Amino acid sequence: MKRVLAIIVWLGVALLGAAALGKIALDRGEPLNATWFVVAAVCSYLVAYRFYSAFLAAKLLALDDNRATPAECHDDGRDFVPTNKWVLFGHHFAAIAGPGPLVGPTLAAQFGYLPGTLWLIAGAAFAGCVQDFVILFCSIRRNGKSLGEMAREEVSRRGGFIAQLAVLAILIILLAVVALVVVNALKSSPWATFTLAMTVPIAMLLGVYLRYFRPGRVLEASLIGVSLVLFAVVAGRWVAESPSWAQVFTLGGVALAVAIMVYGFAASALPVWLLLAPRDYLSAFIKAGAIFSLAAGILIVRPQVLMPPLTRFIDGSGPVFAGKVFPFCFITIACGAISGFHSLISSGTTPKMILRESHARFIGYGAMLLESFVGVMAMVAACAMPPGVYFAINSPSGIVGGTGDAAAATISGWGFTLQAQTMTDLAHKVGEITLWNRAGGAPSLAVGMAQIFSSTIGGERLLSIWYHFAIMFEALFILTVLDAGTRVGRFMIQELGGRVWKPFGRSGWMPGILLSSAIIVGLWGYFLYQGVVDPLGGINSLWPLFGISNQLLAAVALVVATTILLKMGRVRLIWMTLLPMAWLVLVTMTASYQKIFDSNPNLGFLSKANALAAQVAAGAIPAAKIAETQRLIFNQRLDAAVTGVLACMILVLILEALVQWYAILSRRKETVLHESPYVATRWAADYSGAAHGDD
Amino acid sequence: MRHATKTAARLLRRFWRGLREWCGDAAYERYLRSPATRSNACRALTPKEFYVEQLNRRYSRPNRCC
Repeated sequence: MKRVLAIIVWLGVALLGAAALGKIALDRGEPLNATWFVVAAVCSYLVAYRFYSAFLAAKLLALDDNRATPAECHDDGRDFVPTNKWVLFGHHFAAIAGPGPLVGPTLAAQFGYLPGTLWLIAGAAFAGCVQDFVILFCSIRRNGKSLGEMAREEVSRRGGFIAQLAVLAILIILLAVVALVVVNALKSSPWATFTLAMTVPIAMLLGVYLRYFRPGRVLEASLIGVSLVLFAVVAGRWVAESPSWAQVFTLGGVALAVAIMVYGFAASALPVWLLLAPRDYLSAFIKAGAIFSLAAGILIVRPQVLMPPLTRFIDGSGPVFAGKVFPFCFITIACGAISGFHSLISSGTTPKMILRESHARFIGYGAMLLESFVGVMAMVAACAMPPGVYFAINSPSGIVGGTGDAAAATISGWGFTLQAQTMTDLAHKVGEITLWNRAGGAPSLAVGMAQIFSSTIGGERLLSIWYHFAIMFEALFILTVLDAGTRVGRFMIQELGGRVWKPFGRSGWMPGILLSSAIIVGLWGYFLYQGVVDPLGGINSLWPLFGISNQLLAAVALVVATTILLKMGRVRLIWMTLLPMAWLVLVTMTASYQKIFDSNPNLGFLSKANALAAQVAAGAIPAAKIAETQRLIFNQRLDAAVTGVLACMILVLILEALVQWYAILSRRKETVLHESPYVATRWAADYSGAAHGDD
Repeated sequence: MRHATKTAARLLRRFWRGLREWCGDAAYERYLRSPATRSNACRALTPKEFYVEQLNRRYSRPNRCC
C-alpha cells in the first residue's frame, strides 16, 4: 500500500513538473507568472534527486556505508572532522554558491527566459550535480585528495600539471571578471560605494574582536557585523544626499578598479584573521539571508515575467554580449548549471568532513540543485522587469548610444518599448544618478530584487533601500570570492616559485608574500583594467572568457571522473559522466573557436583586432586615440591567445585520457586504482555526528 | 500540548547546535573532543591559538567558489 502511494505521489510530482515545463516552453500568450518557474524547477529537482541521483549512488558509484570515511579514519578536529550531514550541506553550499549563478542567468536573459531556464534545470540535473557528486565520491575514496592530485595519479603526471595550470588560469580570469562586475555596480554611485567601503572597517573591527576579545565566537561577532552593515546601507543615503561626501564616494571605473586591486592585495598580504575571515563571516550570513528572502519574495509576490521566451538576439547580435544562443547561452549561465570550480570544493574541504559515503549524494548532488535554484530565481528577477529597462541597464553605450534619447530609440527599435524618462524616474527611485549602461548583471539583478522585495515590504518608499541592500549583498560576496581567490592564487604562485627558488615558497616569508600577492593582483588586475577601459563595457569579452575557462575546468573534472570510473569497471554506465563531458567539450571548443576566429568583430577577438588595426592604418583614428587603440588591439590578441592556450591545454589532457581509456578497455595495461585501502566503520548505523549523536 | 512543546524545544536545540557548527562557534569544542587531541601527548592549543591556526589552514586552499 505504501509503495502504491509512493508511486502515485512521485507520478504526481513528475506530471506537475512536466506541465509547468510545458507551460514555460510552449506558452506564447500573456506574460507568464513566476510561480510556473518555481514549480517546474522544484518538481524537476525532486524527480532528479529521487531517481537519477539514487541510480548514480547505487549503480555507478556503489556507495558503501560500511566503509570508514577519511573523517572517521583521520579525525583530528581540524581538517578531518566528522560532521552532521545537514551542517556539512550548509558548509558545502556556502562554499559553492558565489556570484556566478546570479550574474550568469541575468546576462543570459538577453536570449529570453526559455533557453537559460531549461539549461539551468537540465544542466544541473544531468551535468553539474553529477560532476560535484562523482568528484566528491572520488575524493572521499582517496583521503580527500584534490582534483590536481587525482588527475596526476589516475590520468597522468602531465594531466595533473595541466589541471593545476588550468586552475590558476581560471582563477585569474574569474577574479578579473567578478571585480569588473563590482566596478560596474559601484560606478558613479556614492551610496553603494560608501556602503561597500564601510564593510572593510567593520570586518577589521570584527577581526580584532574575534582574535583578542572573544576568540572563535563567530555567531555573536557576525550578528554585530551584520547589524553594522545594515546600518551602513541606510547611512549610505545620507552620504549620497550630502554634496561634499557624495563627491568623495563618486568614483569612476578606473579609480574603483585601483581601489579593488589595493583591497585584493591587502586581503592577500594581511593576516587572515584581520580582514579576510571576518568579511567571509559577514558575507555568509548576508548571502544566506538574501537568497532565502529572494525565494520567499518570489513566492509571495509571484511577479509576471515580462521578457519574451525567446528574443531576436538568439541570432548572435545581442547587446549584452555577442554570440548565438548555441554555444553562448551555456557558456554564460556557467555556474548555475555546471561549474568546474565546484570540483575544487568537492575535492577540498567537504570530503574530509563527510560522515558516511551515502551523505555524498545529499551534499554533492543536493547542494548543486539548490545552487541551480538560485540561478532560476536570478533569471526570474531579471525577466520580471520590463525588457526595455533590462536592455537599457545592461547594454554598453558603444552599442545603444551615448544619450538617453538615442539609447531609448535604439532599444525601442528592437521591439522593447522604452522612454528615456522611464530610466530617469527609475534611477531616481532607487537613489542612483543613472542606470543607463550599467553592464555586468549586478545592477539589473538589484533592480529586479528591489522590485520584488519592495512589493513585499515597504512599497516604493523603500525601493532605494532595497536596491542598495541588493547591491551591497552582491558586491560583498563577490569581494569575498575575490579576496579568498587572491590569497589562494598567492599560495599557488609561491608554490610554483618555490620550485625555482626555495625561500619564495615559504608561506611565512614576508618578501615572498608581498611579491606573490603583487603578482597575482597584477595578473587579474590587468584583465580588470582592460575590461574597465573597453568601449563595449568589458563584460562582452571577459564574461565569455570566464565561462569558457570555467566550463573547461568542469570538462577536466569529468575527464578525471570518467577515467576513475573506467578503472573501477563501470564501463556500461560510463555515459553518465562521458555524455556531460562530451557536451562540455563541444560547447567550449565551439565557443573558443568563435571567440578567436569569428569574422564578426563584436564576437571574434582577432577580427576585432584586425578591424581596429585597419582603422589605424587608414588614418580613421584621431592621433590622440592611437595609443589607446593600439592597447585595445593588443588586448584583443591577448584574449585570443589566452582562449587558445586554455583550449589547447584541455585538448592535451583529453588526449592523455583517451590513451588511458584505450589501454584500460583493451586491457593492454594493468589497471591501477589509487583508492585508499578499505577500512570498516566503527560507528553504529544510526550515528549522525558527535554534535548530534546525543539526540 | 506538552508533547508539542517538547518536540519544538528539541528541534530548536538541534537547530541551535547545527547553527553553531555551521558558523564555526563549536569548532574549538570539536577540536578538544577529537581522538587526535585526546591521545596527543603535547598540550592542546588555546582557543586563541586554535582560532588563528584554523583560519590560516582554511584560507590557504580554495574554499569559496564563483
